[in-house]
Amino acid sequence: MDQPTRDGSPPVVRLSGEIDLAQAPDVQERLDALADAGATTIVVDLLEVTFLDSVALGVLVSALKRCREAGGTVHLVVVEPRILKVLKITGLLDEFCIHDSLASATAPHDGSGT
Amino acid sequence: MTPGDATGPDVELAFPAVEELVTLARFTAATVASGAGFDVDEVEDLRLAVDELCASVGTFGDGSSIRLNLTRRGDTVRIRCVNEAPNAVANGNGTVDDGWRPSEISEQLLAALVDRYAFERHNDRPCGWLEKERGRTGT
Repeated sequence: MDQPTRDGSPPVVRLSGEIDLAQAPDVQERLDALADAGATTIVVDLLEVTFLDSVALGVLVSALKRCREAGGTVHLVVVEPRILKVLKITGLLDEFCIHDSLASATAPHDGSGT
Repeated sequence: MTPGDATGPDVELAFPAVEELVTLARFTAATVASGAGFDVDEVEDLRLAVDELCASVGTFGDGSSIRLNLTRRGDTVRIRCVNEAPNAVANGNGTVDDGWRPSEISEQLLAALVDRYAFERHNDRPCGWLEKERGRTGT
């Protein structure tokens, strides 16, 4: 189970493989659990994700809205061109804070993104 | 059958509308696209596009099924997707009303990934199709 960290860095949700409408509910549950536990900023590690569809994107957008309402945001760690392409097509590349490494995503931020 | 052949074999795939089985549609689409000589990026485009087609047309968890017809004519792969449930609905209210549409994100992806696509009703069932030509879509 994903847990909010105690050192002040945002919690990290690591995903892998193909995230589609079959996997999306589990991702939603994990993100909701973090938000319910008080996390306002969340890092989603997509480094090992090979496929992301619109249902999965909807889950990420839902988490982003919830975090923003709480004054935070969602950081995505992604380098896979296919995933970046999907984010670009849907106009979400500028909505999330995009990072190419987990270290960058979990570093202290001012909340304004990358 | 080689990529240069004008026509490939028609493929039909039917499976229960269960989320975990949509991967079958992606695999089948990728196989047909590869056989048509699509490059790696085009194959991946089609995998995502057919996923969006199934996710938009399917009514998951209600005992319905999804039927795909994949045809290849020259450089074009055409995929038709039908929700096979009697009185199937995409909006959950018993009929396919005129307001039914796939999600905005799905439409954005399909518009970028394939050359042509449309959603319609077939015998009051959600239905959609797409076409992608080899060496054409430049996303």
